[in-house]
Amino acid sequence: MKTERLRRIGWVSRVLLSHYRQHPLQAVFLLLGLTLGVALWSAVQLINDHARASYAEANQFLGAEAHFWVRAKGDGARVAQGDYIQLRRQGFTELYPIIETRIRTAQDNWLTLLATDFMALPVSDASSSDTGSTTPFVGDALAFMTKPYVTAIPEELATRLGIDNGDQIQLTNGQRLPPASLQSRPQQGERLVMDMAAAFEILNRDSFDYLGVTQLTDTKEQALRRVLPATLTLVSNQQSLDLQELTDSLHIQLSAMGWLSFVVGLFIVFNAVRFSLWMRQTTLTTLREMGIGLGDLTFAIAVEALLWSLLGTVLGGGLGFLLGNLLLPTVSSSLGSLYGAVISPAVTLNPGHMIQAAIMTVLGVIVALAGPIWLSAKRSIRQQRSADAVNPLQSKGLIMQRFLALALLLSAGLLVGHINSVQGGFVLLALVLLGSALSLPPILYSFFRNLERVMPASWWRLRWAMRDAFAQLPHLRIAMMALLLALVANLGVSTLVGSFRTALTDWLSVRLSADLYVQSSTMRSNTLLASTTSMVSASHERIGLNLRWGNRPTDIRGVNPLAPDMRALPLAMAEPDALARWASADDADGTLPILASEQVHHLGGVELGDKISLSTDTGPADFKVIGFFYDYGNPYYAFYLPKNTVARYWTASQPLGLALWLDDASLSDIEPALLAAGAEPGDWIDQRQLMSVALQIFDRTFAITGALNTLTLGVAGVALFAALMSVHQQRLSQYAHWRALGVNRLEWLLIVGCPLTGMVVITGLLTIPLGAALSALLIYDINVIAFGWSMPLTWKWQPVGWLAVMTALTLMITGFAALWRVQRQLPNTLMRLGGQ
Amino acid sequence: MKYLVLLFSNLLCTAAMADNEYNLLRSDATGFAQVAPGLELSFPEDHLPHPDYRIEWWYLTANLTDSDGRHWGVHWTLFRQSLSPEPDPGGWQSTQVWMAHSALSTPESHLYEERFARGGIGQADVALNADGRFDAWLDDWQWLGTGADPLPGKLTITVGESQIELSLASDNPWVLQGENGYSQKAPSGQASAYYSQPHISISGSIDHDGQQVTVSGTGWLDREWSSQPLAPEQPGWDWFSLHLESGDALMVYQLRDSSQPNTLNGIWVTADGDFTSLSGGQIQLMAGRESSVMTQAGARQMPLNWTIRVPQFEVDIRVDALRAEHWLDTLFPYWEGPVRVSGSHQGQGYMELTGY
Repeated sequence: MKTERLRRIGWVSRVLLSHYRQHPLQAVFLLLGLTLGVALWSAVQLINDHARASYAEANQFLGAEAHFWVRAKGDGARVAQGDYIQLRRQGFTELYPIIETRIRTAQDNWLTLLATDFMALPVSDASSSDTGSTTPFVGDALAFMTKPYVTAIPEELATRLGIDNGDQIQLTNGQRLPPASLQSRPQQGERLVMDMAAAFEILNRDSFDYLGVTQLTDTKEQALRRVLPATLTLVSNQQSLDLQELTDSLHIQLSAMGWLSFVVGLFIVFNAVRFSLWMRQTTLTTLREMGIGLGDLTFAIAVEALLWSLLGTVLGGGLGFLLGNLLLPTVSSSLGSLYGAVISPAVTLNPGHMIQAAIMTVLGVIVALAGPIWLSAKRSIRQQRSADAVNPLQSKGLIMQRFLALALLLSAGLLVGHINSVQGGFVLLALVLLGSALSLPPILYSFFRNLERVMPASWWRLRWAMRDAFAQLPHLRIAMMALLLALVANLGVSTLVGSFRTALTDWLSVRLSADLYVQSSTMRSNTLLASTTSMVSASHERIGLNLRWGNRPTDIRGVNPLAPDMRALPLAMAEPDALARWASADDADGTLPILASEQVHHLGGVELGDKISLSTDTGPADFKVIGFFYDYGNPYYAFYLPKNTVARYWTASQPLGLALWLDDASLSDIEPALLAAGAEPGDWIDQRQLMSVALQIFDRTFAITGALNTLTLGVAGVALFAALMSVHQQRLSQYAHWRALGVNRLEWLLIVGCPLTGMVVITGLLTIPLGAALSALLIYDINVIAFGWSMPLTWKWQPVGWLAVMTALTLMITGFAALWRVQRQLPNTLMRLGGQ
Repeated sequence: MKYLVLLFSNLLCTAAMADNEYNLLRSDATGFAQVAPGLELSFPEDHLPHPDYRIEWWYLTANLTDSDGRHWGVHWTLFRQSLSPEPDPGGWQSTQVWMAHSALSTPESHLYEERFARGGIGQADVALNADGRFDAWLDDWQWLGTGADPLPGKLTITVGESQIELSLASDNPWVLQGENGYSQKAPSGQASAYYSQPHISISGSIDHDGQQVTVSGTGWLDREWSSQPLAPEQPGWDWFSLHLESGDALMVYQLRDSSQPNTLNGIWVTADGDFTSLSGGQIQLMAGRESSVMTQAGARQMPLNWTIRVPQFEVDIRVDALRAEHWLDTLFPYWEGPVRVSGSHQGQGYMELTGY
């Protein structure tokens, strides 16, 4: 009995699936939709997981599982060799020196260099590990430690830089790194590793960036704190936690893009299914008439769904893996330039990801495929035989859709202004996008209906064309929705990025008003300023330190309030007369005024006039926030105070560099004075260079956004193509009739092409207000919540034009491809028509 | 932390790594200074490093007793290695690297620690300090003489959490091994400069496991430097330094040889410090049954009891390891631990077994 049923289901399945043999293109589109949607989604997922795993690893590599760093107090301050040796000689063998710095190659690549003393690394830990190999004395150790030394370069990075074993990377200052040795290690990330001796020589330095500290017992930790020189501080290593928290927003943004692609991909599937269903309606009806029960039919459809899911998982998961690896360098560089996170160079595929991909595919198939097929199978035979195949869902469906769209947009409207998390922001965004997408078909319908109505009867060809829109719409509307989604997302995101770039450029040009920036550990500023009075019109030397506030790393900056860049400090929000009161340290109400970065407001929840408490040398001290300054690109909180206040509260604050405004003097005029004052070549950078570096970092940071955007648009293009193919396939016999009636090719193109173009144009036009709304949402809500950076929305027509061109191109390519196919198939259909 | 260490050590230890850790001791010494017959040692200068030679060590073993009569063993070694025969540029580019082992044999267990440091940066060295005192150190491990001589002096070391502080002194002259300190290791000419102080009286304290014990006993210091002490066909050695109850001290070692008879050498030192060098024919050294010793790489077989005969001094003794578990899984793994002497003489000492 059971086997008989199975055989019957197998037979039904075969009948159902045979459809795809006749129409392989539909199978291709179905798979394409599933694959593309799942692939982009799982690529983003892979990247996110990989990045998060890397944070933990990077942590182990850098600061050890033991969790401490010894750092010099003050930004840019370094650990002196003498202090380190002193600590080692006091028995703190858990310490090892690290140099971690960014270097710039002659080809303008920024690389991270990591150096340590191979001999000083604690070995006892490793000897108890299962690999058991800890042999600093043997093999390559000697090569690492003796001239000409060795630079260990991860293979992937070497490939990207075009470097081979033995090559020497050249830096901008002409220095050459030791010969490369290609060797990837799990925790090396994208960093170059070399011995301290080599690093000292190349960087022309003699101090460490920090000391790593392995596991310390409580007693040992106390002892270390007691003997630590006043200039050094033992900080517990929170890098992993910080990175997790700081990068969270970026990962959510990536996820959102992945979901968008998934939804667009589902639209393709949905379209393909609807079409395949329409084509198989007769088959389904015949099967029912032959006495196949609804249960068996459902089962057979489930088998089909399973088959598609399986294929979708393998293809989508696989493509996602490839895509993930392809996009990873872009994401790594975003994370690196924004947060200094180190991501290892290759994504690895694990079973967890394949299961995730499978779940997503099944979900997609159920939503897009099983539902409609099942609905159709359920319809009574009579209904099916009489159903108007060309005009389904016309009125009832449209009304439903209109209500749904309205409901979505309405709830979005209610949500606006109540968003306080990035997740919430994206829910709002999803509501807006889906609401807009759903409202598109009703808009299109009413547009064509009204247009047709106002046309004089004599324009019969155009009226025919308008009427034809109703024949095309049922099949194209989903593609149009996908197109709208992709276009809106594209426009919204490019407006966001464009606005950000404009805001950043404006801000940089105000903030970086000095001509020259000097950061040198060896230069005596007073000597320089005394010797250059004729050349320098103004100078600004800042001091500062880092501490934790509001559970985040925080920069405290001591600045000169009268320096030109401070007098023009752009404030996002401020009490009246804030800059002057801050500059004069006016503590009329008992607390000193302080300026905070706007992140402190947006992310830390501090309002104007609030008192904040900072831990100082003498215990916590209160300050009153009277203004918020823009601080783009800084993942940390920042506070500005007059220099003498900072020096008073934090004795360990360190000089942070010197800004110089030149008086008719060029850089080459002042260089000798810089060298004479003890600065070393490479210690200074001029304004233009600094600006270009900042913008370069910015562009790199947002490269991933552009890449994902383009991919989404590509998916939408495929959706449109698939829809066009299906609509024409379905209407071939109609076209044959027209041809038989004497409609020539040009007329046919006019009748079919006009409404299509009209639809795309309306979709495109709708994109503009929706894109603007989306960018406003991104800029005013999500970006502020995610990064704490506020900026004005800068509307530019250039991306709109660019998108219009892209869309027109997509339309032309897909239109002509469809046309070509129709022309090829028409004669056959005509023959068949003749035979009837 | 493991990961950082692993990363770096992985970088270090590639396929180039020798299949035998001791190859360093056999490798070609071209460019380095060679120990040659006719060597003349002079003190206190020769207590300090000889960077022209590839390797060198300061090697102390001590058998100690606490107030309850329990046995403690201490072993501390400082190794120097020169990475290049070129003159040492010093600083971070220094070609000198240091390695040290500390080991403590408690009444119940054996613990040890290994450390490395590069020369030139002050983390490790042997030198006269600002006061002109002998100073040998790596991190906080230190042997500080009261003068330019290591003896009398003070050794301060740790082994894991245990802390050891020992005062070391000797009234006896330095014992020059071989021919005036020229000690030939293989017929093919491999040799080292070698001198010792077998009679070091020691007192001090050991902080172990939350308890401080006062200890006293005798120690043995070996000083040796060379550029190629082992011939290629010598897989390892067996070395004994013994304090007999008569007050005499006996040192015997053999370099096992795979292609010809083992090289056997020794020295007999009276309580007053008079010494007689012993060569192959004067010593009989016989390994007993092999025992199983646990190492990281699994159990290894090696003889932990031996018979030594030196007819010239009427010595016919049996040497037994106090405990089997004294294997040091260090970069150069070896067995080193206290031994008991029985037979014609009673006594105690240290034994070192390598290449098993």
